[in-house]
Amino acid sequence: MIIPVRCFTCGKVVGSAFEEFVRRTNMGEAPKEVLDALHIDRYCCRRIILTHADLIDEVAPYY
Amino acid sequence: MKIDVLEMTPTKAELVISDTNPTFVNAIRRTIVADVPKMAINNVEFHLGPIMDESNKAYESISPLFDEIVSHRLSLVPIPTDLEQFNFRSECSCGGEGCPSCTIMYSLNKKGPCTVYSGDLEPVGSEHLKIKDDLIPIVKLAEDQALLVYATAELGRGKDHAKWQATVGAGYRYAADIEIENGKCDAGCSCAEICPKDVLVKDGRKLKAEHPEKCNLCNSCVEMCEVEAIKVTGNPSKLNFRFETDGSMAAKDVLLKGLSILEERFEQLREQLSALE
Repeated sequence: MIIPVRCFTCGKVVGSAFEEFVRRTNMGEAPKEVLDALHIDRYCCRRIILTHADLIDEVAPYY
Repeated sequence: MKIDVLEMTPTKAELVISDTNPTFVNAIRRTIVADVPKMAINNVEFHLGPIMDESNKAYESISPLFDEIVSHRLSLVPIPTDLEQFNFRSECSCGGEGCPSCTIMYSLNKKGPCTVYSGDLEPVGSEHLKIKDDLIPIVKLAEDQALLVYATAELGRGKDHAKWQATVGAGYRYAADIEIENGKCDAGCSCAEICPKDVLVKDGRKLKAEHPEKCNLCNSCVEMCEVEAIKVTGNPSKLNFRFETDGSMAAKDVLLKGLSILEERFEQLREQLSALE
């Protein structure tokens, strides 16, 4: 739906990194490099960013 | 006890504590996770009904997410906390009604289409309480949708809700004792290649443990070495302790507050025991 504010497992704030992650990977950077640069080190936080399906734009018109 | 600080930034700390034991470090870990107080949004009021803008255009006060979800997301936003400045609401001189020394008011007013970010929360009163991490998406608003919200933040502890938990990813592990028998080592250095943390380095004709503090005791080097020249063991009296904060307080302040809470608690115990005589 929309990116979670925090990592489900450890509680680190990851929401603020998502838009930059999407922008930089769309420009062709490797996801690994971007996550390292954003200091998202643990695999619990990395999966939140990597596996997120951003569906809110598809839901928004139906409210 | 000896403490080496490997890293101390505003949001991250890594320490090596020597001549100690896991019980002691675990007490610190549990205290900084569950007992160090911080501010978090605890009450959110949504404006219901139409919201008008300057040109008298009416917006509907709805969003694609339920209000409960929006308020939950707001509560998880880290609020800058100065523990000198704020009291618990229940212990405050205002008697729990809410005053500037126990609560922070935020207002949020956005009209769609747009994304609402944590930085759109405006503190009522002093500007230094503005959210530092201002890029957390809260909700997206479509055309003709608007959000008008008043939120109050108050002090709480991690044991009551994770939103009041200042520390993130706190943990400790045994520091590694790496023994290299130079007599046996043939300096083939296949162990240095397989080491995932680059602990071992080839130094001329010898092997050297360059960064023993990075070792996670995976034992890959021991398995790789054919001449059995390397031995890696965990040392229970030397611990590598690290934690991060969510950004509401500096790592150093969290640790100092945690230690003073422990001190206070043991002081109470000591007083009660000495009263027994």
